[in-house]
Amino acid sequence: MAANINGVFTENLRNAILQSKVLIVGAGGIGCEILKNLVMTGFVNIEIIDLDTIDVSNLNRQFLFQKKHVGKSKADVARETALTFNPDAKIVHYHDSITTSDYGVSFFKKFTLVMNALDNRAARNHVNRMCLAADVPLIESGTAGYEGQVELIKKGLSQCYECTPKAAQKTFPGCTIRNTPSEPIHCIVWAKHLFNQLFGEEDPDQDVSPDTADPEAADSAGQGALNSESNEKGNVDRTSTRGWAQSCNYDSEKLFTKLFHDDIKYLLSMDNLWKKRRPPIPLSWKELPDGVPGCSKEVNEPGLKDQQRWSISKCGTVFAESVKSLSNNLKALQEKSPNNHLVWDKDDQSSMDFVAACANIRAYIFAMAGNIIPAIATTNAIVAGLVVLHAFRILENNLKACKSVYLRSKMNHRNQLLVPEKNVNPPNPKCYVCAPTPQAVLAIDTSKTTIKELDEVVLKNRLNMIAPDVMIDGTGNVVISSEEGETEDNNNKFLEELGIKDGTILKVDDFHQNYSLTVTIVYRERSSLKGDSPDFVILAKEQDLKPKEEDLVKPSTSNGQVEISDDNVMIVETETSSDVAKKRKIEASEENLSKKRKLEINDVDDDISIIENDINNDMDKNTEEKNDDCLIVHDDNKSIVATSQ
Amino acid sequence: MVEDKNQNVELTDHEAELYDRQIRLWGLESQKRQVQLRAAKILIIGLNGYGAEIAKNIILAGVKAVTFLDHRNVTVEDWCSQFLAPKESLGKNRAEASVPRAQNLNSMVDVKADTSNIDDKPDTYFSEFNVVCATQCTIMQIKRINEACRKHNVKFFAGDVWGLLGYTFADLMTHEYAEDVVQTKKIQISDSGEPMQKEKFENIVVTEKHIETFVPFKSILNVTKSSLPKDSEIYYMILIMFNYREKYGKDPLPSERESEKLKAEADIIIKKYDLEDKIDHLIESDLYAQISPVCAIVGGIMGQEIIKAVSQKGTPHNNLFTFNPDTLCGKILRLGH
Ligand SMILES: [Zn+2]
Repeated sequence: MAANINGVFTENLRNAILQSKVLIVGAGGIGCEILKNLVMTGFVNIEIIDLDTIDVSNLNRQFLFQKKHVGKSKADVARETALTFNPDAKIVHYHDSITTSDYGVSFFKKFTLVMNALDNRAARNHVNRMCLAADVPLIESGTAGYEGQVELIKKGLSQCYECTPKAAQKTFPGCTIRNTPSEPIHCIVWAKHLFNQLFGEEDPDQDVSPDTADPEAADSAGQGALNSESNEKGNVDRTSTRGWAQSCNYDSEKLFTKLFHDDIKYLLSMDNLWKKRRPPIPLSWKELPDGVPGCSKEVNEPGLKDQQRWSISKCGTVFAESVKSLSNNLKALQEKSPNNHLVWDKDDQSSMDFVAACANIRAYIFAMAGNIIPAIATTNAIVAGLVVLHAFRILENNLKACKSVYLRSKMNHRNQLLVPEKNVNPPNPKCYVCAPTPQAVLAIDTSKTTIKELDEVVLKNRLNMIAPDVMIDGTGNVVISSEEGETEDNNNKFLEELGIKDGTILKVDDFHQNYSLTVTIVYRERSSLKGDSPDFVILAKEQDLKPKEEDLVKPSTSNGQVEISDDNVMIVETETSSDVAKKRKIEASEENLSKKRKLEINDVDDDISIIENDINNDMDKNTEEKNDDCLIVHDDNKSIVATSQ
Repeated sequence: MVEDKNQNVELTDHEAELYDRQIRLWGLESQKRQVQLRAAKILIIGLNGYGAEIAKNIILAGVKAVTFLDHRNVTVEDWCSQFLAPKESLGKNRAEASVPRAQNLNSMVDVKADTSNIDDKPDTYFSEFNVVCATQCTIMQIKRINEACRKHNVKFFAGDVWGLLGYTFADLMTHEYAEDVVQTKKIQISDSGEPMQKEKFENIVVTEKHIETFVPFKSILNVTKSSLPKDSEIYYMILIMFNYREKYGKDPLPSERESEKLKAEADIIIKKYDLEDKIDHLIESDLYAQISPVCAIVGGIMGQEIIKAVSQKGTPHNNLFTFNPDTLCGKILRLGH
């Protein structure tokens, strides 16, 4: 172990390593690599926490785990394997969620430093707040495909995880998803909607069949597509996808033919869509493009699964297998109660296989080359190495040297592949988390939103609080209490009924996170058309809200499209595509002058994601995260994201 | 890289057809690349901490076979980063000691140890492999292996980690590879008669074929100062460490920290390139044994480059990647062309 050998490190660093106590949050791809580096370096007191158990799909990169460990606690097995590298290390493991109240501020205060190796934004936000509250340095890291980044988060010195706006989960117009997908992410969204339609909770907003109300297609009124089959909502009238699938007993060939042949033929009949686009090609179940010799995906071939791209015939096989397994699971559940349904779970092999296969097939039909590939083991290794080098600097009390470092998929114009920032990025004074008195503006329909929605959707889901208390400033009325039973009566009341209206100031407090936020309410009418615009908007200051109100005409599927605005960034979801394009161009040119390169790693969702190098330059990047299991990679720059119509 | 990266080109019907073919071809291409990766036989020379990281990465990726060639035994310094060799294997052959844990990473890969000295291997030995990756070799050894690989058309890599700094070098000779490039195309919907003209932009992935030419290792040694970019500190450090190894047959030990022998080698390079005090901080830094996180970083880069080379996918680094532990900058130098 390096720190046990005289002369490897300076005495100063060597002693600091031996005396430190560190926490790794997450024992996945990056966590395994960090733990290996720490024990080999000679760190003694290490704690590691992870809620997950080991899945077969982890084995190709989470190299501390073997086939015999499948089903066991990641944190536990990671500890066991790391101890074989260095039996003298003292590793404490927790098979638990870091967000539970057992790990409060005093828990975090025990550590010299904390290293995040997480795969989702909610947990990152939480650890960010805990480390700010405990005033412990946090090393944040993330990877997406061949790209990654490492940054220091230290109260008062550097940006916190929530200082910069992270793009909210992107939504796409329904007709892009249903009719004219142009990017792999569209196919993934479609496949996940399909999962819910067939096996999960049916949501009418997640229809996957051709959308005949597509305005682009409507231009060609009178064409074959627009016939009496469609209702005014544009959905081709027939029994629900679920009902249809059940009626044919989830026959995989019939399902395949409907989804990837008949529906595609139907789309082709909407001629206007294909005047400038490459038309999709229906697939026939019996003639799927042939497989890759010697590339079968078997449970006992962990190494082979990684970096493997399925052929379309392979996708067909996986589709059939996963449909069979998922429909059996659904049947078994519904025997207990007819209302039961499956819930998407990235760690469930069949669910993941189903979505990956469907997304790949659809991407093939629409001739998209961005195939689904898994997370990259070498990226994790490189990023974890950088994390531990940052840890050295913290231990040497040289925090100013902990500049953010970006790993790029290709070298930049200065031939750099690992690109350090010039300085540590200073905190955003308007940050609604780490500013001395955090503030935010919430634009919401106070006459149509209930207290329960405020609690669940805005505070917990969007603002990642664990157990918020909410008091109206001035009157001192407690409208939401984290104590069970205290404010239950308020749950179904509208905000207005409790006196929350335009101009009201709410004091929101999360005791567990040691986090207080002052929220100013702005009245904002909720559209009567469901899904037409976000149900609420959160901003750093009120002015940011004004100019965009006119543009709320775009379909979007989920509520709570939230952006914390700073001066350079705007709400993307509520703008028209040309605005986005314009804005992005302006931004790109301005930011090039004023701001340094920035790579953001954001979750699109916890399970499947895309990576895209955003905007027309190599300084600004937007990388969307993230998932341990599968990703779609666009290696290159793309200028403008088109949202159709 | 894309040449016209900011241009939005209108997609004509003809182009659409063309891209279609390329896209379909891409599907076949990607299958071909997978097969190439699965069929690759790799030789790793030198199973130190860096070699162990390289081995881990390519075994996880799933090549056909990996051979560890090392006549040396496990040392105390290996404990700093060589996680494949158990602690208790101290004094035993390093290649053999590394096999069981390496095999555990992926049972489908054929992992073998060879305890011979590289100098006893004939040139024809290297022809058994698709890729040869050499660590902890002297300049003489690297030149000779590189030459033999060229003779037998084998892709060659070399690399080292000294303490906190490291590099990778590649000689892929004439290397053909495919690269996916995203182009933004404008799609106009004009015949609606509506006042608002609608425009759409969609991204299309095009596979491009490229050829890259490499030079052998000997060409990157002692290049002129004028051919080096401004911040090439690590290049100078590599020369110093190589010269030391050449002279003493080994790297300086942790117990020899701040030794005069190393300073003497440094002085030669400082004088030759007129560096004044530019690299003093690096000469005084941690250059001893191999530090685990740095092995992970440089070994990660090397692993990825080997995977790219055998699958002929993605632009390879041509030809020297250097990691600077002071700035945390990882840079690619194109030398000796
Ligand atoms: Zn902040």
